[in-house]
Amino acid sequence: MPDDQSFDLAGCLERVRKRDQAAAKDLVEHLHPLVIRIVRAHLPQRVSEEDLTQDIFLKMFSRIEQYQGAVPFTHWVSRIAVTTCIDQLRAQKRRPELRWADLSEGEAEVLTQSMSSDDDVRPGDAVASRELLHKLLGQLKPEDRLVIQYLDLEQRSVAEIASLTGWSKTLVKVRAFRARRKLQRLYLELTQEERS
Amino acid sequence: MNPGDKSLRKLFEAARRAPAGDESAPFGFSTRVAARAFDRAPSLTSFGPIALRALAVAGIVAALAVAANLSAIKGALDDESQFNSTDDPVSEVVDVGS
Repeated sequence: MPDDQSFDLAGCLERVRKRDQAAAKDLVEHLHPLVIRIVRAHLPQRVSEEDLTQDIFLKMFSRIEQYQGAVPFTHWVSRIAVTTCIDQLRAQKRRPELRWADLSEGEAEVLTQSMSSDDDVRPGDAVASRELLHKLLGQLKPEDRLVIQYLDLEQRSVAEIASLTGWSKTLVKVRAFRARRKLQRLYLELTQEERS
Repeated sequence: MNPGDKSLRKLFEAARRAPAGDESAPFGFSTRVAARAFDRAPSLTSFGPIALRALAVAGIVAALAVAANLSAIKGALDDESQFNSTDDPVSEVVDVGS
């Protein structure tokens, strides 16, 4: 989350509304970590991370007059980022089936570790674990992917997810329940493929 | 996460330990985005209210002008209809022919 204490967000927004290009540049730099985290978590295949980030910022600037301050600005921007990513994922339509052969060596090893013993996955395999999870999540529907990403990977609260997405708390819980079941099924299919 | 699904939970725990990577904007990105944001046509939200007010004022002025000159307009129309009935060259030609 950007450090709002050291950054004069209100002043910057005021200057952006007056079409101050330097203020717009400062705002992009300030919000980039927040937006890039959302983009990386929901990046569709064959879409450039930078292009999608740019689209989100351009959308933010085109709607900035509509921001009334009812929610924190970072939440408002997050919502734009999330809906833009979901729209992109929906446009992708086809989600290619994940096969054991599609996994890198590290991902295959992590998968084997996760299913074979009581030990935790080795700390050195954290990146491979994240990549493997992203591949698994990539097979879910965009909304399911989002809720798992926030709830289980980023460990956000249901209330926070509801605020970020605009969904009700009940909807977040229902989606999480269904998405976890689907993810477990996908995981089991992949591990069974490895065993066979 | 389902407590019974230890394997998947282990995977999530490991993934959470992964470093975030560089999250700062690439060189030139913010300058390019800021320039493109203001390159676009001014949004309706800034000029829209002014344009709508101007349209309303213009409409009221037009209505007042018509109301103030109603008798003059009416007179001009009457004159025109008289002119049409007496000085119509076509009807004169037709009359001559018959």
